[in-house]
Amino acid sequence: MRIKRFSALDRVFHLFLILTFLIQTATGFSRLFFPTEWGKTLNAVFGGYESSILIHKWVGILMIWGFIFHTLYLITRIDWKNLGNSIFGPDSLVPNIHDVKHFRQRLRWFFGMGPRPRLGRWAYWEKFDYWAVYWGLPLLAVTGVMMMYPVFTSRYIPGWTLNVAALLHRAEAILAVSYIFIVHFYVGHLRPSSFPMNEAMFAGSVSVEELAEEKPAWLEQLQNEGKIKTAKAKTPPLLYRVIYFIFGYAALGLGVYLLINSIVYSRYITLH
Amino acid sequence: MQTYTCISKAMAWVFFMTLPASVLFPVLCFGRGEEVTSFINRYKQYEVSTGYYETYEMRPRHESPLVSRFRGRDRDPFGYTSTSASVRNRHLLSDSHRGIKFYDNSRCEMCHANETRDIHTVRANLTCRQCHGAEPIASIDHYYSPLNPIRRHAYVCSKCHEGASASFASYVIHEPAAGSADSKTQFPALFYAYWFMLILLAGTLAFFIPHSIMMGVRELFGKSKDR
Repeated sequence: MRIKRFSALDRVFHLFLILTFLIQTATGFSRLFFPTEWGKTLNAVFGGYESSILIHKWVGILMIWGFIFHTLYLITRIDWKNLGNSIFGPDSLVPNIHDVKHFRQRLRWFFGMGPRPRLGRWAYWEKFDYWAVYWGLPLLAVTGVMMMYPVFTSRYIPGWTLNVAALLHRAEAILAVSYIFIVHFYVGHLRPSSFPMNEAMFAGSVSVEELAEEKPAWLEQLQNEGKIKTAKAKTPPLLYRVIYFIFGYAALGLGVYLLINSIVYSRYITLH
Repeated sequence: MQTYTCISKAMAWVFFMTLPASVLFPVLCFGRGEEVTSFINRYKQYEVSTGYYETYEMRPRHESPLVSRFRGRDRDPFGYTSTSASVRNRHLLSDSHRGIKFYDNSRCEMCHANETRDIHTVRANLTCRQCHGAEPIASIDHYYSPLNPIRRHAYVCSKCHEGASASFASYVIHEPAAGSADSKTQFPALFYAYWFMLILLAGTLAFFIPHSIMMGVRELFGKSKDR
C-alpha cells in the first residue's frame, strides 16, 4: 500500500525548480568562470558569453513567476478559520517547537544514546530545504533584477548598492548550489534509506512500510484523522519510474559535474 | 473543497494568461551596452543631475562653426560639441604620471595590477584608456578630469550606460577585495555583506554535511536493529 505524499502541483513546482535551477547554475557558472578554460567551454554550450546571460535573465524571470505563483498557491492553502493550526500544526512547513525536540533526539540517536525521533509529515531538515529556497529565491531575484536594470535601479537607490547586489547574488548562488548539490543530493540519493533514489517527489507517494519507519507520527496522524483511506495512492507505472530515474540521475550527474568543476576551477578566478 | 477547486482553476487561468505577458517584461534589458548616448544627451543628463546649466566649466566657442547650428534651434551659443567642454580639452589636465621613469614603455597593469581585476576589465574587456582617456591622465580628483565624480556619469559612464546618473556613477568600479581590511574602511557595506554570506555558507555546510553523514552512517549501521 502506498500513501500520497506530494500532490501533482507540488511535483510540478519541484520539477520546475530542478530545470530552472540547473539552467541558472550552468549559465551563471559559465559567466562566473569565464576567465577559465572550463568556463569558456560552458559558455560555448550556451552559444557564447552574451547569449548565456540572455538565457540566465529569461530563466530568472521565469523563476520569479514561479515564486509568485507558488506564493499564491501557499495563500490558498491557508485555512483562515483555523489559522493557528494551519500555520503551526503538523501539516505545516513552518518550524515549531517539535523540530527542536526532534533535532535533539536525532543527535542522541546519532550516537546510539536514544531512540529515533518520531517524525511527523515534515522533518526539520526538509523544512530547512523548503525555507532555504523560499528566502534565497527572492534575494537572488531582487539582486538579479537590480543588476539587470542598473540605470533604473540607481535612480532610486545609490549606485554603489550594485556592488553589494553583485556580491550577494554570487554568494547566495554559491550557497544554494553547494547546499543542493551536496546536502540535498546526498539526502535524496545516497543515504542508505534513500539509495538509489528517493522516489517520493516524482512518484508522489511512499510505501506504508517506509512511512512507518521514516515518519511514524504522520502515519499515526493520518490514522487518527481517518484520512488513511483517502490518502491511498497507486504504485507508479513502470515506464514512468524508468523515466524519472533517468531524469533524476541526469540532474544528479549534471549537478555533480558543475560542482566538482567549480571547485577545481575556483582558484583561477581573478575577479575580486 | 468547492472553493478550493474554484481558486485553483482561477490560478491556472491566471498562470496561462499572464505567462505570455511575462515574456514582455525582460525586453527592456536587451541591447543595453551596445548603444552609445549622443554627447548632447549625455551633457543634458549631466546638467539635470548637477543643477548647473551651461555656466559650469563651459567656455563660449567663438571659433566654432557649429555655434550657429545651435542658435538656429534657439539654443544658447555654448556649443554642445565634444570639444567645447573644457574637460575634453586635455591640455587643462595635469599629468599624474609625470616623472615616472620609462613611462612610455610601461603598461598600466604593471603598477595597477589590482585595478585590472574588476568586472569591467575581466568581463566586459574594457581597456584602461576607454575610461581614463588619453595622456595626460590626471587624478580622478582633478577638477577637469572627466572621471571627477561631478561629471563622471555624464562623460564616462553614459558612453555605454545610456541615462547614467550621478547615483549610477557611485558604483565602485575598482572595488576593494570584498573581505579585506581595505574594504572595511573603504566599503563597509561590501565588507559586512561578504563576511555575513561567508559565515552563512560555512555555517550551513558545517552543520548539514556532518548531519547528513551521521544520518547515513547511522542508517547503515542500524539496518538490522533500532530502525
